[in-house]
Amino acid sequence: MSSTHLPVLVVVVPLFFAYLMPLFARWRKKWCLPVTLGAITFSLFSSLYMAQQVMASGPFHYRMGDWPPPWGIEFYIDHLAVFMGITLTGVGLLIIIYGSKDLLHEIKESLMGWYYTLYLLLMASMLGMAFTNDFFNLFVFIEICAIASCAIISIKDKRECIEAAFKYLVLSAVGSGCILLAIAMVYMITGHLNFNFVAEGLQTAMSVYPKNILVALALLMVGLGVKAALFPLHVWLPDAHSSAPSPSSAVLSGLVIKIYAVAMIKLLYRVFPADFVGMIPVMNMLLWMATFAIIVGSMFAIVQEDIKKMLAYSSIAQIGYVFLGVGLMSQNGLIGGILHIINHAMMKSMLFLAAGAFIYATGVRKLSDLKGIGHTMPVAATAFTIGSMAMVGIPATNGFISKWYLALGTLDANKPLFAAVILVSSLLNGVYYLPIIVNAFFAKPEGRVAEPERLPVQMTVPLVVLGFGCLFFGVFPSRLVELVTRAAQVLRGF
Amino acid sequence: MAMIEMLLRLHQNSFYFFAIILFVIGFHTMLTHNNLIKKIIGMNIMDTSIFLFFVAIGYVRGGRAPILEPGVSHTYINPLPSALILTGIVVAVSVTAYALSLIIKLYQHYGTIDAEEIMRIRGGESL
Repeated sequence: MSSTHLPVLVVVVPLFFAYLMPLFARWRKKWCLPVTLGAITFSLFSSLYMAQQVMASGPFHYRMGDWPPPWGIEFYIDHLAVFMGITLTGVGLLIIIYGSKDLLHEIKESLMGWYYTLYLLLMASMLGMAFTNDFFNLFVFIEICAIASCAIISIKDKRECIEAAFKYLVLSAVGSGCILLAIAMVYMITGHLNFNFVAEGLQTAMSVYPKNILVALALLMVGLGVKAALFPLHVWLPDAHSSAPSPSSAVLSGLVIKIYAVAMIKLLYRVFPADFVGMIPVMNMLLWMATFAIIVGSMFAIVQEDIKKMLAYSSIAQIGYVFLGVGLMSQNGLIGGILHIINHAMMKSMLFLAAGAFIYATGVRKLSDLKGIGHTMPVAATAFTIGSMAMVGIPATNGFISKWYLALGTLDANKPLFAAVILVSSLLNGVYYLPIIVNAFFAKPEGRVAEPERLPVQMTVPLVVLGFGCLFFGVFPSRLVELVTRAAQVLRGF
Repeated sequence: MAMIEMLLRLHQNSFYFFAIILFVIGFHTMLTHNNLIKKIIGMNIMDTSIFLFFVAIGYVRGGRAPILEPGVSHTYINPLPSALILTGIVVAVSVTAYALSLIIKLYQHYGTIDAEEIMRIRGGESL
């Protein structure tokens, strides 16, 4: 097996094992977890290997079945794609290790095999979205991702989960419909589906059919916006992310909403002509939607009583940062936005996993009942603390780095108002995260919090690794920033 | 005169026109009906309208399916959109199947398929 087929294997290996998983669940129950871990680890190492390749010799194309581009489907492996590959598989691996124990509390044991199937499908579809260079391929991966992400919510057979999953499914079906219509509009005037060919075609089509492009752009913004839970389109998120099993919440909040943001970055920067994007105030609209997301999301989070609901609303605010970075159109802003994808993936999944650990060990979900949890569950509470610090953006955590670049970006773009937004939202984050930490460490444990169940080692290790990661990338961010800087440069066409 | 010209143009683009009308009908059904099954029906109408739109792009008036025979020349339609939409239909079917199975589950848990009723039951829970 030569390394030239790695780009497609990254997607195909998890996909292949996803379909084998029900068989394993029937005949060899013990193999399910190792095989899942093996598949994701394979994708992780291939992504790392490709990252090295891309850093050394620049982006490259991969042709499916060696059909040249206008006919065949193509993967484009650039810095952003490998960056997403590493983020998805790295964080995804830790979440499923955690999930292997936690899920036994939340879903029926007979469904575990199916959970691994769905999880691998989700991973494969997200990796596909990161790598693909073809409109219709993107659509197919989006649909796989939509169904898989609804299914890992509804697999927990409780009424609020089913209801949340249904709401999510209906709204994301609207989103997919919009995306497909947008693809039709683009195909209509360019005759191509490959991103590069479409970009070329749009250059000439721009003057002849500006309305088509406008409608396509609007539909894409709505479609991807619904799926990424950009502010006015976020209504499905709080229920879906808070009722799901904890590992599902972690993967949905940490990874799934980001991948749609990445798809939008790819389309806005690589496909739609820069002149056109400049003509229509798309970027300004994105900026304002992101601003509202940041402020309103944090406001809603403050009043929540349920720990997972609070984290879900906080995700709405945090996805706002990513879009803020995209909308700024400046080098540092884009770096900040992309960097926030991995940073938020790490801290939000850690927070959800820590919250899941609290619920696993004590059964308590209410914030006010978590008094003194720091004394009885030090590891999970410390992880939660690190995550909260990173959310607020305290220096020496990774959240600081991305907010720093975002703030620099706002100044470069000459929009200091948005720097103020970042500052205000950091304070708002402090308002709802810090009291939990204070409560956890400076109050006496009572009731069920006083005698938690022991956490299995599979659940503590991911927490420790993620916590260490948050601190590590806060202190030594240079390698990551280098990769992201190159990604931003390539996207902006330098 | 302008009126006639507009009608002629509409006639020329009738596929697109009806696709958009269907899209709006589907979208409206999906958003305004409380019955969950009707929501799913609306979703399907919407999907179908997009499929119609997409396939119409590839249609060439008077064209036929591109099955090449030696010695005979015809105008052919563009087969690519049709092939893509085949995938789209499969996706829509699976989404529909999944949504309907969720509705069955919802009915088991709540005893109703009315969205507003479910909201009321849930609202009562949180109080």
